[in-house]
Amino acid sequence: MQPVPPEVIAVFHHFRTAEFTTLAGDGTPITWPVIVLYDEPSGAFISATSIGLPHKAYNIRRHPRVALLFSEPKASGLIGAPAVLVQGDAQAAEDITSVAGLEALWEKIYRFQPPSKVTSSTPFSRWLMDWFYMRVKIVTVPKRIQWWANGDFSRPPQEVADVG
Amino acid sequence: MWAEVVKHLARYPTAVLTGLDAEGYPFSVRCVPEPVAAEQALRLALPGYVAWQSGPAGLLCHQHDEQLWNQTNFVLRGRLEPAEGAWLFRPTQLIEGAGAGQNLLLQVRDGRRAAQRYLAKRGLKRPRIPWVQLHAIYARAQKR
Repeated sequence: MQPVPPEVIAVFHHFRTAEFTTLAGDGTPITWPVIVLYDEPSGAFISATSIGLPHKAYNIRRHPRVALLFSEPKASGLIGAPAVLVQGDAQAAEDITSVAGLEALWEKIYRFQPPSKVTSSTPFSRWLMDWFYMRVKIVTVPKRIQWWANGDFSRPPQEVADVG
Repeated sequence: MWAEVVKHLARYPTAVLTGLDAEGYPFSVRCVPEPVAAEQALRLALPGYVAWQSGPAGLLCHQHDEQLWNQTNFVLRGRLEPAEGAWLFRPTQLIEGAGAGQNLLLQVRDGRRAAQRYLAKRGLKRPRIPWVQLHAIYARAQKR
């Protein structure tokens, strides 16, 4: 297996969002922005969805094939970063968690998104938004990673295959 | 729906188009959709090095500020088909996300209801959220 280049790993750590695609019941790709954690030792990508927005989990349980595109460099601090596409297979946990197993993900979310504390800063906001913190953990194991220098999609990407 | 698609799309310089590759995996690229009113479809100049498959496809537009706040986004479901050296994306459904027109309070209400349904379907009690633990993580994150 080829190593993943450091400029690609920097994207995984610093881009604020990835565009995460799951396949709906009829096979339509549905993409939403997510904050995702790259677990470098395992090579897996960790995200989570609220049970109040459960469709990503339902889709993954039906069709595990997913993709993560990192193509929005805003606020990352990276100049001339590549755009990166990760294709792989995801698993959505059956258990509901809030913190256990998601500690590093929450730390990343809070570091990138300081205003998000508003959803848990008062008794009323905690009552209103508790559902947002009831989470299903999603683990994506990559099969193929492709990247485009400077985010230029007009040229074929470079690729590392069989990374899972 | 077409007028709404054009109105939403005009707020974003680019979009993420996702189709399926030859192995059935989602494949996403950034692109600049061009509305074609006569077809009620979006013309896309997609890179030729991908073996795009005609059929189901999706389009996402999103943006956020430097603090990953003030997010706006919406999704189009549709179908991708080849058209004279380019591709046409025919939208079939517009899904409004954050800040895309849907009332925030309605989104919160819908989230609460969906969570309650998720729990009820599995016979689960409403979990208690460990707020103290979350706030400790928040404090740690702000120090880094």
